[in-house]
Amino acid sequence: MGPVELLHMSVFSQSFSPCGRYLAAGNNYGEIAVFSLSAALSPDASERSQKPILNFTAHDGPVFSLLSTESHLLSAGNGEISAWSWAELIKKSTKAAWTRKPNYETSLEIPEINAMIINPKDNNLIVGGGDNNIHIMDMETGTFKSVLKGHTDYIHCLSFKEREGEILSGGEDGAVRIWDSRTNRPVHCIEVFKYEECARPQFGKWISCLATDSDWMLCGGGPSLSLWHLRSMSPTSVFPLSGCQREAVSYQDLIMSVGEGPYVSHCLHGGTVKAQIPCSPSSLNTLALNLKNTEHRVMTVGGSSHQIDVFTNFSYRALSLSF
Amino acid sequence: MSPPSHFDFIEARDKFTVATKNAVDTRNCKPLTTAFSHLPGNETEKKATLDQALRGVLEEQIVNQKVNVDDFLSLIYISIDGVTEGICSATTPFLLLGDVLDCLPLDQCDKIFSFVEENVSTWKSNTFYSAGKNYLLRMCNDLLRRLSKSQNTVFCGRIQLFLARLFPLSEKSGLNLQSQFNLDNITVFNKNEQDSTLGQQHTEVKEEGMDVEEGEMGDEDAPAPSSIPIDYNLYRKFWTLQDYFRNPVQCYDKFSWMTFIKYSDEALAVFKSFKLDDMQASKKKLEEMRTSSGDHVYFAKFLTSEKLMDLQLSDSNFRRHILLQYLILFQYLKGQVKFKSSSCVLNDDQSLWIEDTTKLVYQLLKEIPPDGDKFGSMVEHILNTEENWNSWKNEGCPSFVKERPAETKPIRPSRKRQAPEDFLGKGPDRKILMGNDELTRLWNLNPDNMEACKSENREFMPSLEDFFEEAIEQADPANMVEDEYKVVRNSNYGWRALRLLSRRSPHFFQPTNQQFKSLADYLENMVIKLAKELPKDIPSEEIKTGEEDDDENGDNLLKDSNDSPSIQSKAVTNSQMDEIAAKLGSQWKTLADHLEMSDKEIRVIESDSEDVDLQAKMLLVAWQDREGSQATMESLVTALNAAGFNNIADNLSET
Repeated sequence: MGPVELLHMSVFSQSFSPCGRYLAAGNNYGEIAVFSLSAALSPDASERSQKPILNFTAHDGPVFSLLSTESHLLSAGNGEISAWSWAELIKKSTKAAWTRKPNYETSLEIPEINAMIINPKDNNLIVGGGDNNIHIMDMETGTFKSVLKGHTDYIHCLSFKEREGEILSGGEDGAVRIWDSRTNRPVHCIEVFKYEECARPQFGKWISCLATDSDWMLCGGGPSLSLWHLRSMSPTSVFPLSGCQREAVSYQDLIMSVGEGPYVSHCLHGGTVKAQIPCSPSSLNTLALNLKNTEHRVMTVGGSSHQIDVFTNFSYRALSLSF
Repeated sequence: MSPPSHFDFIEARDKFTVATKNAVDTRNCKPLTTAFSHLPGNETEKKATLDQALRGVLEEQIVNQKVNVDDFLSLIYISIDGVTEGICSATTPFLLLGDVLDCLPLDQCDKIFSFVEENVSTWKSNTFYSAGKNYLLRMCNDLLRRLSKSQNTVFCGRIQLFLARLFPLSEKSGLNLQSQFNLDNITVFNKNEQDSTLGQQHTEVKEEGMDVEEGEMGDEDAPAPSSIPIDYNLYRKFWTLQDYFRNPVQCYDKFSWMTFIKYSDEALAVFKSFKLDDMQASKKKLEEMRTSSGDHVYFAKFLTSEKLMDLQLSDSNFRRHILLQYLILFQYLKGQVKFKSSSCVLNDDQSLWIEDTTKLVYQLLKEIPPDGDKFGSMVEHILNTEENWNSWKNEGCPSFVKERPAETKPIRPSRKRQAPEDFLGKGPDRKILMGNDELTRLWNLNPDNMEACKSENREFMPSLEDFFEEAIEQADPANMVEDEYKVVRNSNYGWRALRLLSRRSPHFFQPTNQQFKSLADYLENMVIKLAKELPKDIPSEEIKTGEEDDDENGDNLLKDSNDSPSIQSKAVTNSQMDEIAAKLGSQWKTLADHLEMSDKEIRVIESDSEDVDLQAKMLLVAWQDREGSQATMESLVTALNAAGFNNIADNLSET
């Protein structure tokens, strides 16, 4: 890979392997790189261990979403979803286990896929993207069972509430829609940009990040990052972060959020920003926490750079993995 | 020792032993005094025997073991009484104390030491101080050696406090005179990956699992290998820094300085990015913590396990320690320390970096909760006072007791309140009292400052007539003075003449179309002009000679300042002292006699260091301290010559 490609690279998605020892990252060239965390975090780590152990082209377009199931790595490219067996990947074989395409209304355009999540209850894969619709695939058979229609513009992000079995989706139209996964019907629609406390008309109304935790929801994007109480459907705290946020995760009593600007913001539930931790990319797209394996419990962030920053302690950058 | 025939040592000792036991039982020194007066023999013999007897009794007590601490103490009390009575030698109580402390376990030593502490005033009294101070010091040092620095901190502290109370403030024996570092304080950490405790644990766990606990191998309760990721990169760099704090002199080495900067920048960047927050702990909880754990946090030694790194980074007290270490190091690097060798100088880049980093460190200190601001300013204050100690040491640790001036005036009974008119200078004699005789005198020289400045004796500029008298005379062709002997040829005179002309003569600023080749020609011309204006009264011969003298003086002055100052009149520099000390080596004592060092000072120097080079250096430093500005190369060379070190002296005068 030449220096120009490296310079213009963006990392859009990340996923940890089920064992927690590997990290897969997808970039704007359709490539997926697999890094060995155990090598990079070991005491005798060298420059080499910060390079991917495997790097392959998975799709034609950018890899906007990566997801790990118990055995497979799912990657979403332009209009299609591919699955790669983790066991094979570790053996450095790059043959896709399967590739599926949702049923699009027109065959003329190929809409991108922006978000994928798993519904573990029914073993469904929920996919959202450029065609404004949410497609639900049965992981057992590989068939697309149903389509949830309602968004008027493309979908940025998805989230799943396990207890209630609800799907949340956020999109370019500025709405967060809540769907019942059993009946596949819309339950609620929150138009975040209409709430004065979080509206930021200068940035637009799009919602690019969503996270849920029992009754609470985090959402942000064009409007300010805000914490919502879902029962009362009202924002409880709004975080005074300057740029648009791309991904937010709630971990213990902290909310970690990335977006515009070269830092990871730590917020407290009360609505205050506790710290902004500097990192190497100038703007960040994705943040992932590895909670599967205690030995490699790290936070990784990626963005408009070929580097992926690793935080062993959430409060300072320990090292950078690099494509 | 063979006692004289009329004094039987054995018998006397036995008698004293009995008397002592008696005295211990009654807690009174009476039996001893009576025994002492009844025995024949001279004083010294009896004293020595009594000392022996006391020690014997103590030995018996110690061997007996069931005796409690109070009995030891009463014996020591009796020996103290004995000393005051003059029946045993002054060192005996100290010898007894030393014996007791040497033989007892630490918890009993504690009690004995409380006794020692209680009796500071006794030890400081004239009878005991000179005899006992060395014994006490040795005793305390022996004790300190037995105590653990991390476990018995309180006892160690008590001993140090006791020493501080016992010795006068000016006592130098406990002082780190040469500003040496404790190089033994090495912080151990895992420098290379093979030694990592993490790796070891892995193998240990495995081995145990395989060899010993076969049956339980499958059990989940086997300890999981370390569960947190470790940033080895930071870990190694972080703890490497401790080595610079241990031995700051390394910073003057170019390469180690580079590493130091690199690692520090990384460590501080982590501190900067990793903000600690105080918000999680509510005030109530904080108070609880304070009361339960106390306000003291003390690290006897840093724990350097990799697994602790993460916790340490989020510990505010740990962070304060590290940051404070930085400040202390910087203070040393920037400060003037006499015993720093001359090569230890920072370059501009280094000073700049230190300055920036100091600012950063203070900022970080202030950010650390709780009470970061307060802590930061406190540290700043303490480090500033430290400067005073530093300069005190550089000045050779002068005594704190101010010498009373020799002629002490009888103190006037002071009036209760100053009359306001006195103070304002409206008193009968219009005198303004400045509170000090000399100040008052100076202040009252003239009540009006302007008037004082205008007064005649403030006028230092000579008049034209006086100054040019000689030149005018010489300019007169009648006197037939040859050109080269004229004062106007003297550049020194010429310069002063020009200055005076510019201030006093209207001719100086008058435009003239004449061209002058040299200053002398111009002055000649001016002198003729002046001669015409001045009233013609020809000066007498005497004045002329006086003027000449003056001029000569001026010349000499000028010469002196023009010549490069010879090495002889310069003060001796640090590097020169190093050089001389190295050459002197073990022969320094010969020189000491010629530098008029007292035996006492020589002994102090000897006891302070084992190294002969250092001793020699200390001799020179002591001499410099004593002589002050008189400590010139010249006098040192004279002393060296007198002591027979002609070769050293010659070498010095050459350089």
